[in-house]
Amino acid sequence: MGLSLVILRKDLLIEIRRKDSVISMIFFGILLLFVMSMAIGIGRKVDPELASGILWISILFSSVLGLGRTFSLEKTNRCIDGLLISPVPPSSVFVAKTSVNFFFMLISEAVIIPVFFALHGDNITIGLAPLLATVLLLNLGFASVGTLFSGITAATRRNEVLLPLLLFPVITPLIAFTVKATGEIFAGVPFGEYSAWLRLMAAFGLIFSCAGYLLFDYVMKEN
Amino acid sequence: MDDTSFLRIQGLRKSYEDVDALRGVDLSLARGDFLCLFGPNGAGKTTLIKIVADLLKPTSGTVEISGGQNLDGGIRSRIGLISHQTLLYDELTAMENLQFYSSIYKIPDPEDKIDSLLHTVGLHNRRDERVSTFSAGMQQRLSIARALINDPVLLLLDEPYSGLDQFAATVLSNHLKELHARHRTIIMVTHNLTRGLETANRIGILSEGRLVYLKDRAEIDLRSFEDHYFTHMEAV
Repeated sequence: MGLSLVILRKDLLIEIRRKDSVISMIFFGILLLFVMSMAIGIGRKVDPELASGILWISILFSSVLGLGRTFSLEKTNRCIDGLLISPVPPSSVFVAKTSVNFFFMLISEAVIIPVFFALHGDNITIGLAPLLATVLLLNLGFASVGTLFSGITAATRRNEVLLPLLLFPVITPLIAFTVKATGEIFAGVPFGEYSAWLRLMAAFGLIFSCAGYLLFDYVMKEN
Repeated sequence: MDDTSFLRIQGLRKSYEDVDALRGVDLSLARGDFLCLFGPNGAGKTTLIKIVADLLKPTSGTVEISGGQNLDGGIRSRIGLISHQTLLYDELTAMENLQFYSSIYKIPDPEDKIDSLLHTVGLHNRRDERVSTFSAGMQQRLSIARALINDPVLLLLDEPYSGLDQFAATVLSNHLKELHARHRTIIMVTHNLTRGLETANRIGILSEGRLVYLKDRAEIDLRSFEDHYFTHMEAV
């Protein structure tokens, strides 16, 4: 855990100085939100499930930009070799990079979600606590799968193209669970009626966190 | 495993699709040996360094370091690598890069060590400046400090003199001599015959994936070695 924190601190320091990952995620997310909102008509009453879809497509597509950069800073000057020859276990790198992606998503969501409510908040119920739980579970699953695939594609020349092509088929169930859960939160239904979706999201996140933790050794060594 | 075979390479082969980079390399180094490997471009020198550093898997053959076939355990934390690339983060300062590497090697009280290394490579007065503002030579000097932060018992150097100015090259040579005197095992790949022959105690030539020449420096007659070297260069 200590080594993961060292890598996490280094990545956050670099992002604070470069500012390119989070800012591009936020900008692209808001852009997608506006484009889709204009396509259906801003201010028009939208179905809670449609609103949910608009929100998460904006967040997930923008988050892919951040994922793509997960290993790009390690590829510059072959810093990845510095990690590989060191005693840092690849699983610690996975924990650090997943945490970075989780944290960057959280920052971008803290901006994108209020903008979404400003555009569509009149027509939906805002349940902050269940929405926060949904956000955290989505981030766990997305960051785990995304970090794993980002590691796999890091050594390829067209990783920015390959990453979403590999990632989205795998996270389709997670997207479906998230949209269903959030649609019901926006519709104001009681917690018991959508808690099953949240449990599925938690299971997805746990399975892929464990898979990434166990498989990352092979991912980094093969690269 | 005794001191006579700190590093043992047996039947090492590496193929990239239809290209054979290494075609069966056998090599044994004692603790404290300093091997300088020469050879033409494409001879497999970098591939050999990467396999020894555990950055590449061989197609077949084994590398044993200090008696073990993998680098898990203590030995991994005592390997240093200087390569074509600096392995430094551009957005971090010189100090922060060395602090990061000292943290991942869990070096206790690293501040004095970092200060000393920055003085040695002549970058102490620029310790708080980002690596992206450094010239290529300065970055390579900082890369030397990075590679030495864990006081390596096995130091791997792949063309360490490329991009270095005269000052930095002398600093590196002096450091290598000091490490050699302290019985550190060193493998250096270079095209710089003068530096290589001046610092190493064993000299090898790798050509077309084979170790075609390996002798103690003391046994080498410079003229016949140069003839041998240029013969292989011309053959390729």
